[in-house]
Amino acid sequence: MRRPSQLKNKKLLAGPYLFWAVAFVIIPLIMIFYYGFTDNNGAFTLTNLAGIASADNLKALGLSLVLSLISTAVCLILAYPLAMILIDLNIGRSGFLVVVFVLPMWMNFLLRTMAWQTLLEKNGVINTFLSLFGLEPLALINTPGAIVLGMVYNFLPFMILPIYNILCKMDQDVINAARDLGASPRQTFTKIIWPLSLPGVISGITMVFIPALTTFVISDLLGGSKILLIGNIIEQSFTQANDWHVGSGLSLVLMIFIIFSMMFMQKYDKNGEGGVF
Amino acid sequence: MRHPFKKLYLILMLIFLYAPIATLIVLSFNSSKSRAKWGGFTMDWYSQLFQDSAVMNALYTTLVIALLSALIATILGTAASIGIEGMKKRFRTFVMGITNIPMLNADIVTGISLMLLFIALRFTMGFATILLAHITFNIPFVILSVMPKLKQTNRSTFEAALDLGASPFYAFRRVVFPDILPGVVSGFLLAFTMSLDDFIITHFTKGPGIDTLSTKIYAEVRKGINPEMYALSTLLFLTVLILLFLINMSPESKTATPSSIAAQIASRTPTGEVSFSQKTESRRGSRFVMRRVLPAAIIVAIAVGGIFYSSQSGSTSDNQVIVYNWGEYMDPDVITQFEEETGIHVVYEEFETNEIMYPKIKSQSIAYDVVCPSDYMIQRMIENDLLAPLDYDNIPNISNIDSTYLEESRQFDPSLSYSVPYCWGTVGILYNKTMVSDPVDSWSILWNDKYKNNILMQDSVRDAMGITLKYLGYSLNTTDVSQLEEARDLLIRQKPLVQAYVIDQVRDKMIGNEAALGVIYSGEAIFCQEENPNLEYVIPKEGSNIWIDSWVIPKNAQHKANAEAFINFLCRGDIALKNFEYITYSTPNKAAREMIDDPLIRDSDVAFPDPSELVNCETYRYLGDENDALYNEMWREVKSD
Amino acid sequence: MIDISKSFGDTKVIDEMNLYIRENEFLTLLGPSGCGKTTTLRLLGGFEQPDAGQIIFDGQDMNSIPPNKRQLNTVFQKYALFTHMTIAENIAFGLKIRNKTKSYIDDKIKYALKLVNLEGFEERMPDSLSGGQQQRIAIARAIVNEPKVLLLDEPLGALDLKLRQDMQYELIRLKNELGITFVYVTHDQEEALTMSDTIVVMNQGYIQQIGTPEDIYNEPQNAFVADFIGDSNILPAVMVRDRLVRILGVDFPCVDEGFGSNTPVDAVIRPEDLEIVKPEDGLLTGTVTSLIFKGVHYEMTVMSHDFEWLVHSTSMSEVGTEVGLTVIPFNIQIMNKPESEDEEAVAIEE
Repeated sequence: MRRPSQLKNKKLLAGPYLFWAVAFVIIPLIMIFYYGFTDNNGAFTLTNLAGIASADNLKALGLSLVLSLISTAVCLILAYPLAMILIDLNIGRSGFLVVVFVLPMWMNFLLRTMAWQTLLEKNGVINTFLSLFGLEPLALINTPGAIVLGMVYNFLPFMILPIYNILCKMDQDVINAARDLGASPRQTFTKIIWPLSLPGVISGITMVFIPALTTFVISDLLGGSKILLIGNIIEQSFTQANDWHVGSGLSLVLMIFIIFSMMFMQKYDKNGEGGVF
Repeated sequence: MRHPFKKLYLILMLIFLYAPIATLIVLSFNSSKSRAKWGGFTMDWYSQLFQDSAVMNALYTTLVIALLSALIATILGTAASIGIEGMKKRFRTFVMGITNIPMLNADIVTGISLMLLFIALRFTMGFATILLAHITFNIPFVILSVMPKLKQTNRSTFEAALDLGASPFYAFRRVVFPDILPGVVSGFLLAFTMSLDDFIITHFTKGPGIDTLSTKIYAEVRKGINPEMYALSTLLFLTVLILLFLINMSPESKTATPSSIAAQIASRTPTGEVSFSQKTESRRGSRFVMRRVLPAAIIVAIAVGGIFYSSQSGSTSDNQVIVYNWGEYMDPDVITQFEEETGIHVVYEEFETNEIMYPKIKSQSIAYDVVCPSDYMIQRMIENDLLAPLDYDNIPNISNIDSTYLEESRQFDPSLSYSVPYCWGTVGILYNKTMVSDPVDSWSILWNDKYKNNILMQDSVRDAMGITLKYLGYSLNTTDVSQLEEARDLLIRQKPLVQAYVIDQVRDKMIGNEAALGVIYSGEAIFCQEENPNLEYVIPKEGSNIWIDSWVIPKNAQHKANAEAFINFLCRGDIALKNFEYITYSTPNKAAREMIDDPLIRDSDVAFPDPSELVNCETYRYLGDENDALYNEMWREVKSD
Repeated sequence: MIDISKSFGDTKVIDEMNLYIRENEFLTLLGPSGCGKTTTLRLLGGFEQPDAGQIIFDGQDMNSIPPNKRQLNTVFQKYALFTHMTIAENIAFGLKIRNKTKSYIDDKIKYALKLVNLEGFEERMPDSLSGGQQQRIAIARAIVNEPKVLLLDEPLGALDLKLRQDMQYELIRLKNELGITFVYVTHDQEEALTMSDTIVVMNQGYIQQIGTPEDIYNEPQNAFVADFIGDSNILPAVMVRDRLVRILGVDFPCVDEGFGSNTPVDAVIRPEDLEIVKPEDGLLTGTVTSLIFKGVHYEMTVMSHDFEWLVHSTSMSEVGTEVGLTVIPFNIQIMNKPESEDEEAVAIEE
């Protein structure tokens, strides 16, 4: 008697949001689809999507993939030991250390990247430091390396947190059991800790890979506009070249990558344990 | 701790994470603008920062948008969560799927999609569009924060309340809501943070004159780093530190760890369970902070900011003129003087290249009143019927413009009915005497291996292609594909030698001795020479580009009369002089030229070169859409190599 | 374990403890939460290092030997099964580490599963098993490695009563079949009494008493042990002289001697050892103040001399009845009053 009306009232509460979502999420996406599949005259075409296969775009996409994969790998290699050490030290689980490592994330993203400009410039801080020792200045900025550095710096905490959390949640006794059964520390890691931490690892990878793949700011500020990533191309097609159709087509291709990443993540982390918490 | 390596690794990581931030903080107190030298301790940048109304406005806008969008998103999101929880499973999965989209999608795609929507609906881009966009990406975060708490909430407590006689609404308010409150609060904070830090989505959905902190920083950084930015980042860092400290004192329990709350907020992805427990021990003091101090602080801040903001922006009436100009291309005092003398409010927006400016005018997504394009772009705009003819009766001061330049203007404005010249100049090579040993008289020096990584090129398709074509002996207006391909190949060959493709940054870099050679506009050259006496400017013998930037009024301008008054104001001798002294670009205004004090400058070769030097120089012409696309393609191939 | 001390932070969890564990015995560490029994177990397992003292195993000092090299195996309280592996892989884990051949491992798995009555479960995943089944798998996983000592940390805590009782019998059967030493930790005194050869009663880091279940039950050496094991009536008393104790002003003949004369002591009488008789036949008289039927017996409280005596009897007396209480001398247990908090145990030479 009461139930149905309660439920009905409840469902209505979601109404405004649904309206909003349709208006500002679904329809804009449809618009990208529309622009992606049409040309300047409104006729249906696949050239925008096929545009990804053009030499420049392919190069940019390839470069983006390579750089983001490298960045993701570097993040993983750096973050995992760090998370393990944090767990080791955090006997009181006060979490203070975690805060310390998370704090830089709160700084404005652009400022963090700009800070690296300051460090990497020809006459920047690092080179000045080196010159104190009479060393040659290094060409650090405006290289793919600088972009990877920027990506790793910006996204490292996204990798640390999920791994840290999943390691936290891990039952200490399971690790003890492995030791008890004769496993050396290395074996304990490869057979027990690593497999059980995979949900966190996957979560971290996804949280780093997708933003790294689609960024244009980092390549702008640290790549000296010499290096075009797919994000740059898409951004420029909208703000400079007025090429909305091409840009939308490329965006659609990019979304395919994102969907793949999501599916990949789903496969390994069915229970959603790998969240950041 | 058994292994010292572990500690070492931690320390190294800490250094890595904090070195840039520490650098910024240190530099914010550096009286020298240089990043490498310490010039002495100063608080100047901080005081300058607070006087910089543009930055302060951006800060205020950022805060207001963050607060409003977070608030609205929290209300909508919490309501939605309750609604979703009551849905049947299939529909619920579907809705949750939609909710996940903005979070998992790349920011760039979200931003673009919203931009397309707003333009299609003919919304004027401005504060409202930014707000709508922010609410859109905030709501999912709220939902994903509240839903786990809803799930955790014991169904039976709600039913117990009903059993005891409460109405569903009362039961909700008194029983369910307090239970989910931590989720609502963390959702709000999450949304607030997301909004504060957003750049990409705001980048695509903002309008002229409106900047958030992020977009302002982006604009500034591309121009060259103003030490004010260091002060700003230090202050932001301190604010965040204080915020985190306050969160640490929040009423959430120790077991939940305030750090985990901070961590989830910072990482911005509330996927999975949020595990608070309700045990609280030190509630009293922290509750006081959270309930009283924090909201009070926020309200005070907004009130103060509001007073400040409204005092700055003056009238919100429609008596305004929206100006779209190159970066660093007008003395701010001129703008203030105009506002004072005429009472017309100036909304001022900047662009970096013609190619960035044009699409905005063409799409008519924003109604600028007066724009300052370059010659060939004006030609294109005329041919595309984007400009309104000027009523020269409203611009009597045009008589101050030297007729030579008016005649030159006919090249792109044949009937001389759309434009009024503003600045003119040449493109040439700026070089550092102490870093370049060879004679500089030809474009070829930019391809000299000796100066590898010491060469700055313009990040602009016409300029880069143009000088290369000149170097090859072709016209910089050619449409011959083989010639263009030659130029492209030459540019590709040059790429390893190029330090960076920049626009406004050439100036700062050359002044800072960061590069030996740079392609630059003559106007910049004068400024550079003033700042760094080692710099010389030359127009190579193969010839170069001579250009004129003129004021035009787009067809869809809303305040045409104000625009014409603005142009007229700029043509005044004293005003043109002011501008000349500020931006150091050659002025076509003969009245201003006569008023120049310093004879060295009045007769400067750089500012007012002898006609003989200009013999091989050409103005850019508009080449038509197809050829433009051709140039664009060539340039893209260069950039993506 | 010799002179073992262990602290966590400021808290001294174990203070100079000495303990002998014999081969093939079922030794139970019994005590309330926080008494140090789990810590003791973990010290044996190698998961904690003692701050002071030595652990000697088979004549060898274990202090520097990590857990994976010790010849004992642990069954953890929450089973700690490897959730990402099948049952077979769980059981095989220790064997694989030691590079046993595949056929050896397969045989062992079959054997272990048969031992714990879970044949056919090889390919199942731990999550799909019930608590009791998981427990048995944890045991199986430990014993396939043929350890000399099996450490069990409150393994039956999460099971319901019936299952727990079944498992207790299983464990005893296993021990006899495998012939290895069991070191068992529990806070459940009934469990300890059921399964152990030797019980070590611990409190606050100290050993209170070591003995067989009968010893512990019938002859507790101090008030703590007496109170912890079974119900009891514990009263302060005075040892008048050998074989005579005065409780509540009444003289009771008893069988203990060696306590001196007029020494304050603690006296313990088990409720089932008190007989209800006619008032004139009892050593004490009192009134029945409560009566509860407990199935196995009636539980009554009798108020006498300002003390509420707990009585277990198969016959009942109504509330309010005047009754007499009597006890045979053998069933009065005299204990020393504790001199201080410290009750050190002596290494038993058995």
